[in-house]
Amino acid sequence: MEFRPILSAMLRNKTGVFLVGLQIALTLAVVANAVFIIMQRVEKIGRPPGIDSANLIFAQSYGFGPNYDHRDTVRRDVDMLRAIPGVVAVTALNGIPMSGGGRQSGYTIEPPTPQPNPTTSNIYFVDEHGVDALGVKLIEGRAFTEAEIQYNENPTNSDFAPSVIITQAVAQQMFGDGPALGKPIYDNLGQSAIVIGVIENMLGAWVGFDQPSNVMLQPRLSNGPTIRYAIRTEPGRRDQLVPEVEKKLAESNLNRAVTWVRPHTYWVERSYRADSRMVAFLSVIVSLMVLVTALGIVGLASFHVSVRTKQIGTRRAVGARRIDIIRYFMIENWLLTTGGVALGLVLAFAFGHWLSSTYSLPRLEPLYPVAGVVLLWILGQIAVFVPARRAAAIPPAIATRTV
Amino acid sequence: MFNYYVRLALKSLRRTPVVAALMIGAIALGVGVCITTLTVYRLMSGNPIEHRNDVLRAVTLDNWDPNQPWDDRRPELPPYELTYRDAMALFESDIPSRQVMMRKGPFVVESDPALGVKPFLVEARLTTKDFFSIFDVPFEYGGGWDAAADQGAQRVVVLSKETNDKIFGGQDSVGKNVRLDGKDYNVIGVLAEWTPTPKFYDLNNGSFDGIEEAFVPFNIGQIDQVQPGGNVNCWRTQPLNSFQDFLESDCVWIQYWVELKGRDKVEAYQSFIDSYVQEQKKLGRFERPLNNKLRTPEEWLEINRVVASDNSVLVGLSFMFLAVCLLNMIGLLLAKFLGSAPLVGLRRALGATRQTIFNQHLVEVGVIGIAGGVLGIGLAGLGLLGVRQLYENYDTLTRLDVTMSLTALVIAIASGVLAGLYPTWRVCRVQPAAYLKTQ
Repeated sequence: MEFRPILSAMLRNKTGVFLVGLQIALTLAVVANAVFIIMQRVEKIGRPPGIDSANLIFAQSYGFGPNYDHRDTVRRDVDMLRAIPGVVAVTALNGIPMSGGGRQSGYTIEPPTPQPNPTTSNIYFVDEHGVDALGVKLIEGRAFTEAEIQYNENPTNSDFAPSVIITQAVAQQMFGDGPALGKPIYDNLGQSAIVIGVIENMLGAWVGFDQPSNVMLQPRLSNGPTIRYAIRTEPGRRDQLVPEVEKKLAESNLNRAVTWVRPHTYWVERSYRADSRMVAFLSVIVSLMVLVTALGIVGLASFHVSVRTKQIGTRRAVGARRIDIIRYFMIENWLLTTGGVALGLVLAFAFGHWLSSTYSLPRLEPLYPVAGVVLLWILGQIAVFVPARRAAAIPPAIATRTV
Repeated sequence: MFNYYVRLALKSLRRTPVVAALMIGAIALGVGVCITTLTVYRLMSGNPIEHRNDVLRAVTLDNWDPNQPWDDRRPELPPYELTYRDAMALFESDIPSRQVMMRKGPFVVESDPALGVKPFLVEARLTTKDFFSIFDVPFEYGGGWDAAADQGAQRVVVLSKETNDKIFGGQDSVGKNVRLDGKDYNVIGVLAEWTPTPKFYDLNNGSFDGIEEAFVPFNIGQIDQVQPGGNVNCWRTQPLNSFQDFLESDCVWIQYWVELKGRDKVEAYQSFIDSYVQEQKKLGRFERPLNNKLRTPEEWLEINRVVASDNSVLVGLSFMFLAVCLLNMIGLLLAKFLGSAPLVGLRRALGATRQTIFNQHLVEVGVIGIAGGVLGIGLAGLGLLGVRQLYENYDTLTRLDVTMSLTALVIAIASGVLAGLYPTWRVCRVQPAAYLKTQ
């Protein structure tokens, strides 16, 4: 194929070619890194929460005044909530998974030494319906029984529970591949608890935490005056039950304020908002960048067509077919893009390296720049096709005319 | 002459409308995206207490675990909050002209049933009296409390504007009573609208949250055993079986700020806290190396990483996008200018100097820059509308202000002219003879 004449023609317009090449290079560098970041965030947002997020409602009640009786209020509330048609299960608990606020502590498999190496875990205090109400999947052992539920009148206490349920992630980290069920674990005061159940997965309070699935359920009624309820509904009934739950709670007891009643997705969206924002911003930048670069290619090719009208006419007059003219521009563009992406690959990895070292983001995976190269090749060929077809339409007769 | 060039420029742009639109569009898009991300960045990186930056200091002491630093990734940092007992001890010092210790706590607010407002939960700030003066907090009605109220834990309350609107419909409620957690409090002040962004005085409990809904004297928290409403971090293995245990523990949960006027005051206070910690070391506390820091609000915002790295990445990417837009524009401009080379050749032959040609084309580039800038401001406005959908509670702050609009225009014109220099220079070098020959 006629590479040499194409190359020498390109060299006659070095600046224009260089500009578009550089543009392609920068586009590759930005698009590869931006799409890499987008995919990571999308993956993070899409992680399974472990709990039945779509059918969960959370409510918070805050007791006040001398007549407030915490235990009694909770008992009445859960009974009332469990009786509502459409409600599958209810537990009182101390916090909301994935909400950005919670409690965590360190645990060991031996009584703690002066320099322990504890496994850090989120803690949720739930009642005997905890597993059902959250909709977590118990893969080993059993749920809590009513008799196990602890309560200490004193709001400030360092009690531990007799038994705990842990996620697979915690079991793996504490016991490796060995069995966790029936084994004791210790808190930092040396108090022990027996692992009575292992659940498949559950995300804790902080979605950005590096061990998001380190979660432990403890059989305990959390102290007042704040109490929260997880209310699991039948599929599709959640939104209709939110106002009903709110109304029933508000009417049932005048010694407390119902602070809010919300679907769990409220917190999920809130916690992932920064990530969804990044995805939105980057998607806009990537699309605009691809668009501008494509227009740049169209612009340069159109310019080439217009200044070469006479030469194209001459080539046609001496026997070149339309397809030859089109092919000429396609190959020219391919050469241009290839030069651009070669520089772009270097830029992409340099930029990726800089991002990961400056902002401690993960290192760019090679798949992304490579996919970017293919994308830009295709994009270039599409962009150049319209001016190329226009060039092919130039009649041979034009060569015989003087301008 | 200038007017003539402008007319020529408009005429030239009209001759190639598609190329002109592409160039203006490219600048506008580049500028629009940059201004949008810059506005968000500026919002995040603002220092709302800049005017007091030289006198305010956040106090931090390193009482953390001898075996493990507070922050594994930045081991040089002490914890960002204090223990209750250390805060109380520091409060004895008279070196700072003003100082404040504070924390958050929940309260249920009840009002006169006649007002028909259902009891509701608020996040209150339990603080000492100087909070309002040290941070320049604006009042709508009344004012803060005095030292006696701090000392005696008097049941007085300052309401935020929002809370006052909710309970009293925005009326002057000074002297009226509200009930907090079942006890009567006298309203002594109502704040005017106050939205410090970021919420510099307490960055570890939601940097971009609104201010608290009510403010009450700090000591009420101990008397009524108000549970902490913000972050609490503990490290020492010690059983905490009463509120008193908690107060005496090594758990950090109190924010502490001082006002120090002049360098000697800063030095005096630094040596005061250092010698306090040395004393405590003798009692077996503060087992880590001496590491007590006084931070200006600016340093404080920086250390607490209020600007998420995402925002910096976005600003960087936007400017790379602008670069691509400009490369695009240079390419198009070059093609356009060289396309009109025969015309330039003719004008040169008729006596136009290179300078004239240069000026004329530079004016054309300027016109493109201005048009792109104006359009870019419009696009940035649209972009920020989109941003507002993505950020909750930021409505007033994601508006395009005069500064950012001017910045947009300056970036557009500057980058437009910069991008136009090379094509302009190229077209000036046109040899008249070369074009006259082929005509």
